[in-house]
Amino acid sequence: MKRIALAAAVAALAATPALAQFPDRPVKLVVPWAAGGDTDNIFRPFAPAYQKHLGQPVVIANVGGASGTKGAKEAKDAPPDGYTLYAVHDYIHSTYYAGVADVQYSDFEPVCLIASTASVLTASPKTPWSDWKGMVADAKARPGQITVGATLASTSHFFPALIEKATGMKFKYVSYEGLAPRMNAILGGHIDLTDSNLTQKGKVEAGQLKFIAIATEKRHPQMPSIPTLKELGVNVVYDVNRGLLAPKGTPAPVLAKLESSCAAAAKEPAFAEAMAKQATDVRYMGRAAYATWLKQNDELNRNLAKDLGLLKR
Amino acid sequence: MFELLGAGLADVAQAKYLVPLVLGTLAGIVGGALPGVTITMTIIVVLPFTFGLDPLQGLSAMTGVYVGGSAGGLVTAVLLGIPGTPSAIATTFDGHPMARNGEPGRAVWTGVWASVFGGLLGGVFLIGTTGPLARIALEFGPWEFFSLFVLALSMVAGLVEASILKGLLAGALGLVVTVLGNDPVMGRERLTLGISWLEGGIPFLPVLIGVFAFSQIMGEIERPRGAAARDAALRVSKLAVNQLRVIWEILSRPFLLLWSSLIGVLIGVLPAIGGSAASVMAYDQAKKFSRHPERFGKGAPEGIVASEASNNANVGGSLVTIMAFGIPGDAVTAVMLGALTIHGIQSGPLFISQNPQLAYGMFAAYLIAHLVMVVILAFGVRWMVRATTVPRSALYPVVLVLCVVGAYALGNSVATVYVLLVFGVLGYLMVKFGFPLAPFILGVILGDQIEINLIRALMTDSDLWLFLTRPISGGLLAASVLSFAAAIWQHRRMQNRARAAEGDTDF
Amino acid sequence: MLSRDGWGGLAVAAASLLLFGLTLGLKDNPMVPIGPGFYPRIVLGLTAALGITLLVLDLLRSRRRRLSGDAKSSASVQPDHLAVAIHFGVFGLYVVALPYLGFRIATVLYVAAANALLEPPRGLKGWARVAALALLTTIAAYVVFERYLLVLLPRGRWTGF
Repeated sequence: MKRIALAAAVAALAATPALAQFPDRPVKLVVPWAAGGDTDNIFRPFAPAYQKHLGQPVVIANVGGASGTKGAKEAKDAPPDGYTLYAVHDYIHSTYYAGVADVQYSDFEPVCLIASTASVLTASPKTPWSDWKGMVADAKARPGQITVGATLASTSHFFPALIEKATGMKFKYVSYEGLAPRMNAILGGHIDLTDSNLTQKGKVEAGQLKFIAIATEKRHPQMPSIPTLKELGVNVVYDVNRGLLAPKGTPAPVLAKLESSCAAAAKEPAFAEAMAKQATDVRYMGRAAYATWLKQNDELNRNLAKDLGLLKR
Repeated sequence: MFELLGAGLADVAQAKYLVPLVLGTLAGIVGGALPGVTITMTIIVVLPFTFGLDPLQGLSAMTGVYVGGSAGGLVTAVLLGIPGTPSAIATTFDGHPMARNGEPGRAVWTGVWASVFGGLLGGVFLIGTTGPLARIALEFGPWEFFSLFVLALSMVAGLVEASILKGLLAGALGLVVTVLGNDPVMGRERLTLGISWLEGGIPFLPVLIGVFAFSQIMGEIERPRGAAARDAALRVSKLAVNQLRVIWEILSRPFLLLWSSLIGVLIGVLPAIGGSAASVMAYDQAKKFSRHPERFGKGAPEGIVASEASNNANVGGSLVTIMAFGIPGDAVTAVMLGALTIHGIQSGPLFISQNPQLAYGMFAAYLIAHLVMVVILAFGVRWMVRATTVPRSALYPVVLVLCVVGAYALGNSVATVYVLLVFGVLGYLMVKFGFPLAPFILGVILGDQIEINLIRALMTDSDLWLFLTRPISGGLLAASVLSFAAAIWQHRRMQNRARAAEGDTDF
Repeated sequence: MLSRDGWGGLAVAAASLLLFGLTLGLKDNPMVPIGPGFYPRIVLGLTAALGITLLVLDLLRSRRRRLSGDAKSSASVQPDHLAVAIHFGVFGLYVVALPYLGFRIATVLYVAAANALLEPPRGLKGWARVAALALLTTIAAYVVFERYLLVLLPRGRWTGF
């Protein structure tokens, strides 16, 4: 009896699934930020949709820290077999050029782009001004005194820096990594401004926060009362784009499978609904289009970093 | 608030949440009852199981462990005279004598019901104060957080029993751990010593798991074989007892119950002091206020009530700190905090307003866990005594494997397992060299936050005086100086007393 | 001679000063007004000072001890340090082997080894107990975590298993 049990146990342990088609085991998706941040909130609803089309569980691994570069390193060093994917956004370019990270987009194979979120300049309820005009007047009167909470060298730093450059204002940056700590600080009035997005709409309606301006081409249908920076005479359009990358060297058939499942997942109504709640537009691009886009975006960020005086490479 | 609590209770009453809660409570009771297995260790073992659950399921399980563990320790304390967990120390003083006097049932159930009432009073405090305290916490800027963390560290360093110097050094060493690897502001490498897995910095959970699990298990292993053998449990013939009479015995002493619970709650709110201090302090107070102090130590029910009410109320207090401020009050809540972050929930002042469903679900889990505990104990006391005889040779390897799974899953890399091993060795050495672990762990937990808040404060305003001139921050710093002075004074007094008693000895 | 406090203080002070020296090589970042070495220097300075204090106090005390000729009475039960060293060694091997052998193989071997060391098996029955515990622990952990809770466990680089 015991022997049979042991034999069965050994058999169970030895039962590696035969080398079938990719994927034959769960896929790990590295999110390089703490859970609960925007990136996490976008990829969490994506995972079940992706899983449905891949046919294997997609497990999110939050590897946060160090302005998102820790997760990037982890994903870069993973074996290129398609079982480790990397959830990325524009920070990969900015942190590289600002000299914070050694990992760049070309260390990976593009899989697909899935979503794009517009940036909104947001102010603390404790600030004396309530609109763009008042803010600009105050910033001009007290240069270098208005505090901005930002993940340094990441998108939340680049976006206000672009405004700074376009208007000639001067801000003071304070390091708050991730949106959640920034929200704590801005609600308590410990910083004046930050980059956020329309997910904070509820707080604005409750009078706990003030949206100053949105960085889209046209006013956003979800909250048409916020003026765009463009109509305020500031030529800044900025959004954060999120996609999937795989480690360099991942075989083409595996990438093809990952891409086709991604395309199908991005069309899932449940995912679209979740993105609407995140005030994010579903924006799908396949491998080829994403590769071109990444290249252009990288060049753009390099120029930005140079213009902003942050370029370290 | 009441609708939210009602909704929370309705949530947790579903099988989906009730099952993890019951399993967690059961694990807590068994872990608490096993001598040499603390609540911290139990929650470390339970942690990896919560990764695949939804946040409220995971938190229900952990809350169950916390509540169950505080109560489980009392069974061993009463029936074997050994505290199953440190927080049951004071329960042995009167619980065991009462059991030996032929009333084991009365002793156990007095403890159980005192735990329930103490825990529920702690729950009232938890539910009533978390919201208002969170609103206060929102006013905290980087200066206030920095000063608060300094206060927490200095209090813990001052509270250690051995030497204050070593307590302070242990806390500072904890801070050193967070300095290695990379800087928390820009994420650039620093002091990596050329070790690749140090590059990302050292996460606190594997450190905590390693330090606690190994110092405890190796402490048992180093005892020569045979020395650990204990004589069999008290021949427990009858544990049945008139429950109503026991309950009345407790409720007829409302002052004792309230005062003990209050002590428990307040000690719980203070960071990193923990249930053992609460139970000993409440016991001490009960003895002072009693009309018959001479009965204490010989099976006085008051002693059991004081100890058990305070150590369960303490759980409620610790949960307040973690929920309102996002600061773990002790190692157990530190693990819970880690679990929260893994599930994508940012703890801190906004926790309760942004996740009301989760927060009230957790309150509900806390309340229901007490009922679950009573039910489990009603059926299982007999089995639990047997559970304490699980062979160590099987228990330890299994616990360590679960520690490895937990550590690996935390960072999804083997690097965190290396951290576990290194700090396992270090934790054992620290115990051998007489360094207290509590300040060390608190240092590791708070280190990054202290640095980030210091730098944020300086980035916001370069004026260093703000730490003193902002009223809350200045007050907190003054309190930390005071608490430290008080600790030194207390130690002096105790040393002098000891010296007077037995001549010149070192401490 | 030094007691364990003295040695502890000495080790801490030496390590702190070494690390303190390394912080001097850290470069400041223009984005942050204070460099990455600022806070570590405070902390390491603190540990160095505390370590030295511990050492000095111990030296003073050891002189007093020698004067009074009072030797610390040794503990009644001598702890079994060899067992601890062996167990750390076995666990260390487990951790090192984990990425190469994979979770399942390494865990079977580790649990078997640790169990056999803690309670040396006698006869066939003893070995059966060791094997059963090792296999059961591993299978249970694997099934519960990887299959049910979706916690991915390490796969072996050598074994692919």
